[in-house]
Amino acid sequence: MMQVEPWLVLSFAATIFFIGLTGVFIRRNILVLLMCIELMLNAVNLTFVVFSRQLDSLAGQMSVFFIMTVAAAEAAVGLGLVIALFRTLRTVDTDQIQLLKE
Amino acid sequence: METANHLIRPEFLSLGADQIHALMPYFVAFAGCLVTLLLSVIRSVNPKWPVLLGTVATCVAASVLSIEQIREPSLSLFNGMMVSDSFSAFFNTVFLATAGMTALASFRYLDRERLQHTEYYVLLLFSALGMMLMTSALDLIVVFIALEIMSLAVYVLVGFRRADRRSNEAAMKYFILGSAASAVFLYGSALLYGATGSLNLREILAVLQSHPEGMSPIFTLGSWLVLLGFLFKVASVPFHMWMPDVYEGAPVPVTGFMTTGLKAAAFATLVRLFLALGFGKAVASTLQQHVHDILWVVAVLTMLVGNVVALTQTNLKRMLAYSSIAHTGYLLVGLLAGGGSDQGFSAVVMYLTVYAIMNLGAFVVLSVLAEQGDTGLNLHDLSGLARRRPWIAFALAVFLFSMAGIPPTAGFAAKYLVFYSAIQAGEIWLVVLGVLCSAISVYYYLRVMVYMYMKEPVGSAAPSRVSFWAASVVAAMVVLTLQVGILPARLVHAAKKAVTSL
Repeated sequence: MMQVEPWLVLSFAATIFFIGLTGVFIRRNILVLLMCIELMLNAVNLTFVVFSRQLDSLAGQMSVFFIMTVAAAEAAVGLGLVIALFRTLRTVDTDQIQLLKE
Repeated sequence: METANHLIRPEFLSLGADQIHALMPYFVAFAGCLVTLLLSVIRSVNPKWPVLLGTVATCVAASVLSIEQIREPSLSLFNGMMVSDSFSAFFNTVFLATAGMTALASFRYLDRERLQHTEYYVLLLFSALGMMLMTSALDLIVVFIALEIMSLAVYVLVGFRRADRRSNEAAMKYFILGSAASAVFLYGSALLYGATGSLNLREILAVLQSHPEGMSPIFTLGSWLVLLGFLFKVASVPFHMWMPDVYEGAPVPVTGFMTTGLKAAAFATLVRLFLALGFGKAVASTLQQHVHDILWVVAVLTMLVGNVVALTQTNLKRMLAYSSIAHTGYLLVGLLAGGGSDQGFSAVVMYLTVYAIMNLGAFVVLSVLAEQGDTGLNLHDLSGLARRRPWIAFALAVFLFSMAGIPPTAGFAAKYLVFYSAIQAGEIWLVVLGVLCSAISVYYYLRVMVYMYMKEPVGSAAPSRVSFWAASVVAAMVVLTLQVGILPARLVHAAKKAVTSL
C-alpha cells in the first residue's frame, strides 16, 4: 500500500481551507458562499483525521463526526435562509442585496 | 493513546449523584426546550400562552438551580470535557435570566408585529442552552458544538421577520460571516490538537507549561485562528462590519438578546480560552507578548471606531449597535488587564453582567417604542418623549446614563473597575485612551436625552399600551441598574468568586 506523507495532506487541507475562506470574501452568489463554508469545514475534518493518525489518538476522529453533524445542521439552516431571502428579493446575488446601509 | 483509553473506561460513562446534581440546570433547560417544542404544536388551544409559560418557568427553575451552584466547589464532568464551577453557574444565571426576560418582553411585541410563532421561544431557550454549555466547556469540540447550538438558533431568530427583506438580509449576512468565523475557530482548534495532542483546555495548558521555551509554529497559528474566531463573535474592530447591519435588521427584542446574551457568552468563553492558552499565567513566551500587543491595538481601535461612528447615527437601534462595539472595546481592556491585576478577570465578569442588565432594559424600551416594522426609532421620533410617556423616558434615561458611565448607575461602577484593574496592570495609555473614548460617548448618549427632555413633542399618535410584562422587566432593570450602581460590592464579590473558581 502506498503511504502518503502527512505534511502533504495537511498542506492540501490548508489550501482547501484558504480557498474556502477566500471564496467567502470574494464570491457573490449565496449558494457558492454556502459551498465555500462546507469547503472550510471539510478541510478541518481532513486536518483532524491526519493529526489523529499521526498522534495515534481517537479524539480527532471523534471530532470529525461531530463536525459533520454540525455542518449538516448548518447547511439546513443556511438553505432555509436562502429560500426565505429568495422569496422576498428574487435573487441570490449579494450585490443586489444592499438594503442595510453601511 | 491515553485519551483513547480514557474514552472507553466504563466509570466515565456513568454519572454520580453529585454530577447529576451539577448538571441539573442543563437538564432542566434541555427538558424545557423539548417540552416547549411539544407544546407549540398543540391544536386545541392557542399555543402561545403555554409556550410562554413553559419558557419562563424553565428559565426561572434553571436559574434558581444555577444560583445555588455558585457556592459549590467546581466539579469536572464527562471525563473533563465540561466543568461546573462558580464561573459557569454565574453566567448560566445571566443567560437564563436574559432569555426569560427577553421572552416576557417580546410577547406583546410579537403580537403587534404579527410574528407570534411559538418557535421564537423555543429558539430562545435553545440558544440559552448553547450559551450555558459554551461557558462550561473545557474541550474545544464541546465549545464548537455549543457555539453552533447558540448561533444556529440566533441566525433563525435574526431572520424571524420572514417576509421582511431587511430581516432576511441581516440573517443571511450574519449566517455567512458567522459560519465562516466558526470554521476559522475550528481550524484553529484542529491545529492546536495537532500541536499538543489534546483538545482539552487543561491538557493544552499543561503542555504549554511544560515547554517554557516556546511552542511550535503550528501551535502559534492555531491559537491565533481560535482567537480570531472569537474576536469576530464579539465584533471587535477589524471584524465589526456585520454587527450594525445585523442589529438593525433583526427584530428589536432579538437585538437586545444578542447584545446581552451572545456577547456575554462569547466573552466568558474567551476568558476561559485565554487562561487555557496561558495568558495571564506565568508562561513566558513571545506568543503572549504578541497577543498582548495585537489585542492592545484591537481594543483601542474598537473603542475609537465604535464611539466615533456612533456619533453620526440618527437611528437609535444602529446607534446602540455601534455603542455595543465600543463596549466590546472596554471589555477587551478588562481582558488585557486581567492577567496583571488583583481583580483578575472579575472586572470583565462584572462589566458583562452590568452591560447585560442595562442593555436588555434599553432594548425592551426600544421594543415598546417601535412602531410596526421596527420603524419610528429615529432620534426625532423621540422628541418630547418625556412629556408623552414620562416613565418610559425616565427608564431609557437611566439606561443611557449607565451606558455612558455616569456615577449613580451600574455602568459607572463597572467601568471604574475595568479601568482600575487596567491601571494596576500598568496599562496607563490604554486607560487614558479608554477614558477619552468614554468621554466621546457621553455626547451621543446625552443627545438622546436632549431630544427626549428638551424638544417639543412631534405627532399626536396615541401611544400603544405597554404590556404589563415588558413594563415589569424594564422596572426590574432600572432597579438593578441603580442598585448595582449605588451598592456594587455584592456583585463585585460574586464576580470575584466566579473568577477564582477558574
